[in-house]
Amino acid sequence: MNRSGFILAVEPYLIRKGLASLLNRVPGVRVLKEFDNADRLIEYLETNSADYLIISQLIFDQASGLFISRPDLLEKTILVTERDVTQTPGELRSSIHPGEKKEMILEKITGMFDTARAEPVTNLTPSLSNREVTIVRMISLGLTNKQIADRLFLSTHTVITHRKNISSKLGIKSVSGLTIYAIVNNIITIGEVTSKPDE
Amino acid sequence: MISKEMSMGKAVLDHPRLLPLFPRFGIRTGFGEMSVMEVCHSSGINPDFFLEIANAYLDEAFVPAEGLSRFTLGTVVEYLTATHTWYMEVALPGMEQKLLDLLNGSELSKKEVALVTGFFDDYRKEFTEHITREEQVVLPYILELEKQSQMERPDPDFHRRLKEYSIREFAKEHDRLEISLENLSMLIIKYLPPFDDQESCIRVIRDLKELVRDLEEHADMEDRVLVPRVTELEQQLLQEGGAA
Repeated sequence: MNRSGFILAVEPYLIRKGLASLLNRVPGVRVLKEFDNADRLIEYLETNSADYLIISQLIFDQASGLFISRPDLLEKTILVTERDVTQTPGELRSSIHPGEKKEMILEKITGMFDTARAEPVTNLTPSLSNREVTIVRMISLGLTNKQIADRLFLSTHTVITHRKNISSKLGIKSVSGLTIYAIVNNIITIGEVTSKPDE
Repeated sequence: MISKEMSMGKAVLDHPRLLPLFPRFGIRTGFGEMSVMEVCHSSGINPDFFLEIANAYLDEAFVPAEGLSRFTLGTVVEYLTATHTWYMEVALPGMEQKLLDLLNGSELSKKEVALVTGFFDDYRKEFTEHITREEQVVLPYILELEKQSQMERPDPDFHRRLKEYSIREFAKEHDRLEISLENLSMLIIKYLPPFDDQESCIRVIRDLKELVRDLEEHADMEDRVLVPRVTELEQQLLQEGGAA
């Protein structure tokens, strides 16, 4: 399970801590950093990235420049508002009200990455590069590191590095595990795997 | 939420998800009118610990009480070891047998059968490696940590190591063992040719799903109950050491 990193920029202490405790209990979610003012948040985001941002109305207003220069952030942001939650500003995905029920808030938080996952990129784990997909395919076909290296004009060492990265990204180490991964992610068909000649 | 005073029989009827915990705690059915606390006492279990684990299982948002050492980390380690044994000796072999029965009675080609059995063999190896690492590195570290924290003068060597290693590292690199099993379910549901014996096929899919959920819950339980307790102790020891 990939862990999603959240940044909390909410000035009221209790609301921020409450959200942090709630987030840390959601499987697969981690709070990366907490801020109580806009300046620190802007400074942090200059050099760091976040999967998702939960921000209060006040800090959102103060950091409006940030969102103008980084419109991609809007997609990943949940607003904490004192106002009516049905009126989420158009560009934002979702907003929560401190008075809402726990289940409601949890649903909105998990809703962020459910829709992100459903984006029609491909049904591959988006974190694999094209090169890595090619290598997973070759591993599933039973090629050795040497054979893969020869076909892709790489050194064996580079192939091994790719394999290490693939394993740590997917959490799958064995060839058989990668093969099944490749089938269920349409990198290879089951026919290609079962019809490969015996060594 | 379950409580000490509740009848154990009623707790189980209301929350059947608790059942997989019982063999790990060595709890046996036939509770009569005994309360949760009484059952724990008669099975030699710390009731506070049982409640913490059970409630963490039942409620994703359950937060263990902080700062109260109502049970030792030794108790936690004992439970984790029992759980590992249960996975290795009961859950995985059971799953494997069901898979084999399904495959043997099927029309699958030799290669297709080999794909699944090879996968399960490798999976068991990875699983064993994971557990061995936990039992040889992580659990002894936790026990040592607890021992050191009870000493008047903690070992300076250990204190030095503490600055470099923390249980958070372990939690970070904690492999998610359920991912591969989910892929296996998907393979059966979508890509292998249909099995004649659909009843067995459905049972295998359902059992895989249950095992996946159990592994997720077990890992989350480690993150939510074990890691915070250990972190607390690490902090305490680091501060004491710093003051000495």
